[in-house]
Amino acid sequence: MLDAIYIQKERGTAKVLKYMVRRGLKGLLTIFVSITITFFIIRLMPADPVSLLVDPKMGPEVQEAMMKQFGLDKPLIEQYFIFIKEVMTGNLGVSFKTRQPVIEVIMQRLPWTLLLLTVTVSFSLLIGIPLGMLAAKKRNQFFDKLISTLVVIGISMFIPFLSFGLLYIFAYLLKLFPTGGAYTPPPAEGFAYYLDVARHVVLPAFTLVISNVATIILYTRNGMIDVLKEDYIRTAYSKGWDDKYVIRTHALKNALIPTITVTGLMIGTMVGGAVMTETVYSWPGIGRLIYDSVSALDYPVLQGAFLVLAIAVVVMNILTDLAVAWLDPRIKLGG
Amino acid sequence: MEKRTFCKTFFKNKPAVIGLFGVLLIALSGILAPFIVPYPTGYGTEILEPPSAEHWFGTDGLGLDVFAQVVWGARTSLYVSLMAVLVAAVIGIPAGLLSGYKKGIIGSAIDAVIDIFLTLPVLPLMIVIAAIVGSSINNVAIVIGLFSWPSLARVTRNSTMKISEMQFIEAARCLGIPSRKILFKHILLNIVGPVLVNLTLVMATAVLSESSLSFLGLGDPTTWSWGTILKKAWDAGAVIDTPNPWWWWFFTSFSIMVYVICFNLLGNGINDALNPKTRE
Repeated sequence: MLDAIYIQKERGTAKVLKYMVRRGLKGLLTIFVSITITFFIIRLMPADPVSLLVDPKMGPEVQEAMMKQFGLDKPLIEQYFIFIKEVMTGNLGVSFKTRQPVIEVIMQRLPWTLLLLTVTVSFSLLIGIPLGMLAAKKRNQFFDKLISTLVVIGISMFIPFLSFGLLYIFAYLLKLFPTGGAYTPPPAEGFAYYLDVARHVVLPAFTLVISNVATIILYTRNGMIDVLKEDYIRTAYSKGWDDKYVIRTHALKNALIPTITVTGLMIGTMVGGAVMTETVYSWPGIGRLIYDSVSALDYPVLQGAFLVLAIAVVVMNILTDLAVAWLDPRIKLGG
Repeated sequence: MEKRTFCKTFFKNKPAVIGLFGVLLIALSGILAPFIVPYPTGYGTEILEPPSAEHWFGTDGLGLDVFAQVVWGARTSLYVSLMAVLVAAVIGIPAGLLSGYKKGIIGSAIDAVIDIFLTLPVLPLMIVIAAIVGSSINNVAIVIGLFSWPSLARVTRNSTMKISEMQFIEAARCLGIPSRKILFKHILLNIVGPVLVNLTLVMATAVLSESSLSFLGLGDPTTWSWGTILKKAWDAGAVIDTPNPWWWWFFTSFSIMVYVICFNLLGNGINDALNPKTRE
């Protein structure tokens, strides 16, 4: 028995390595396809970015020189190959609008999105997992049905509705929280600044928690119900252990696997999926950046933002698979 | 599955019946909009009136009746989501059938495309494309449909794979029935259930997407849609400024919620009625 475990562990390391290589390659391919699709979609935008770049008062020579500088004079296919080459070397170009390097623009926004995301995911898990477990335990009783109803409402949530409601109650009526932004300009110093940011994050995070916690509850509940049917749980009970012990040491780890998978997916999509929330609350994150760049026809920034989104989704998928395989050795790491 | 058992289980399920009722109500108000209230247009004299017997949902900043806007908005939402579902079905169902039935290169190629589409950031891309194609309700509907087919294709594919291994399909193949006929007659008829469930879910997400896009100003500015009403209310500061005409945005967004919830309930109801075991 012990031998078998050792052999499995040894094989396991090699397997994980092999898996990582294969998965990494597949991830790179996905990122490549994704940025290729977005490159051509973005270039289809009808309006002419040159008119934004170039002052009409400038002479035609200056205009041409500017086009050349941004590489807009070359044919589309050539622009594409230049773009791919530059991405490989880590150069994302310069924003049409602000003339800042795209990487800088994104790095200014990314921390805000990550902050919102961390707060949202932590609270969703903290609230969702216990509620889901409780619903599974009280299956088909009143509490479970109540939770099921709330889950349908949560899944159907329209972000502006929720945001408007929260803003109306907490910002307009009670004046507890600010109506938008990430801090009160000019930014305060030290502790006061963190407190200010914390006050600003409450409403957008609350909005995202309400619309995401439903999914966590649903997956935890169903995962728990499936696991509780397993033989090894019955065995554990038959040994005379109490409910709490069985659930905590035997059931929880396996029951949470679907929850972890869906959380990974959620994080991956939320990097860009928070467009609505970030727009309503003027939160300076990646989602808002995408919306602003569309109105400004800022190709390079849009392109960079979509690259970040593709990377986020791929990295989260790999991390999720690894976490799930670590939690449940029966799950084999496959392609 | 027998029709009678299906109906019996479905109508015993209270949330499902509520969903069906709600969907019918919204559909009727959308279809019959011209007979319910006149099309809201121009300017009214009573600006920002709270809800009253005359104006059920109050009036907006131009003095237009919000109830009329919501009813006409239902028409747009219904139209857009139906069109989006149609587009999604036309692409998604054949793609799913083919990739589930044909083994080898065709199957895995389609599957790879589905995979990639499922990892694309949907809403940001919809925003970009809606900005490209310009704002007419047909364009918006097609854009939404183009991003809704992958989940439908996935469901169709999984169900098709299960059915294609059954003996009657094998028998049909031996009889020399052409693949097209096997796919659309023998297989499709047997997977109508899961496909239908997914279609109702697509209806629900389509209206969310449409409202989101028009709320961001990418919808059709010439028609009333729920998202457009919300955008107008938001731009006018109806949520956080004083005076605060809450009725302007509340009833509209509430309608969106009801619409989406009803479609989700209907989908869950059909699903439960098809697989009575999952409920017990």
